[in-house]
Amino acid sequence: MDNALWLALLVTAAGTFLMRLFPLLWMKRHLERHDDKDALEAIPNWLGILAPLMVAAMLGVSLVPKTIDLSAWIATAIGVVATVLAWRKTQSLGLPVFAGVAIYGLASLALSL
Amino acid sequence: MKSQTATDQISPWLLGLRDAMPLLGGYIPVAISFGLISIQAGFSTFEAIIISTLIYAGASQFLFVGMIAAGSPLWLVVILSLLINARHLVYAPNLAPWIGSNRWWPWLMHGLTDQIFALAHTRLPELADEQRLGWFTSASLTAWFSWVGGTAIGAVAGETITAQWPLLGEVMAFALPALFLVLIVPRFTSREWYISLIVTIAVALLLTVYGLNNAAIPMAALCGALCFYLARVGVISGDNTDG
Repeated sequence: MDNALWLALLVTAAGTFLMRLFPLLWMKRHLERHDDKDALEAIPNWLGILAPLMVAAMLGVSLVPKTIDLSAWIATAIGVVATVLAWRKTQSLGLPVFAGVAIYGLASLALSL
Repeated sequence: MKSQTATDQISPWLLGLRDAMPLLGGYIPVAISFGLISIQAGFSTFEAIIISTLIYAGASQFLFVGMIAAGSPLWLVVILSLLINARHLVYAPNLAPWIGSNRWWPWLMHGLTDQIFALAHTRLPELADEQRLGWFTSASLTAWFSWVGGTAIGAVAGETITAQWPLLGEVMAFALPALFLVLIVPRFTSREWYISLIVTIAVALLLTVYGLNNAAIPMAALCGALCFYLARVGVISGDNTDG
């Protein structure tokens, strides 16, 4: 990489970091202006609603299989059902993910035969 | 996730490591792809690793190397790479009530990726004040190292791996939707949330199917937020007595 490319890389890296950092500093200042015990209430309402929706959007994006065909969609649906069932049974984080991946893998394998 | 007593019995560092494990199934295959694509785009192994270490944002990294390989002007590469990451603006404010005044917290924001945000948004409120820094450091470093390590593997041996185990990458990648699912399922608590979450997931999925990957997350979240407010005022539910 030449100097200009290194500069572009450094500016992109610094910009990405600042986009993660500055909103934190802004919010901390916002919270300091409110009483500490009201911290949760001090979060703007729209921000509290947007956060879970961003996670839901990430879920929607990540559900799309790499190769889009019927068997991939079926395997995805089976994996989703397995994950939700495992979550309902355990209410934990790791086990449902493991179960989802394992069942998805088996379904993918079975459907590719 | 399990109750707070479960989180009390385990070191926050170990808990962070354990919580971040499902991310590896999503991170490593994508990072291997990035390493491989970087080499094919003319970058060296060292440069690919430096890009993953410093930028540490999947979509914008792919765009960065792709546009540079295509000969795009550098100012445009930088602007578009940053625009893709604009969604990160809403992450830290949502975690702020659980982030203390320790001087390491600002530096740790480098590790605030989509997935770490999703994880932290659920886990940090469950932890005691003194556990949060250790948990976040451990979870974010685990994810960061896996991303950088995966890039290195992809740059050095990506072609061999993808040729030998083509199904492995696809199966492991399901860890990401499974994790997001587990994080979002407990949010289905009211009519507003049912409507807005389902709309958000559906819009994001459709936009991705039609190739609008980068716009999918912010656009879908905005559609979901609109539905949330519409449902709240009763326009969707029919509770609106004026109607």
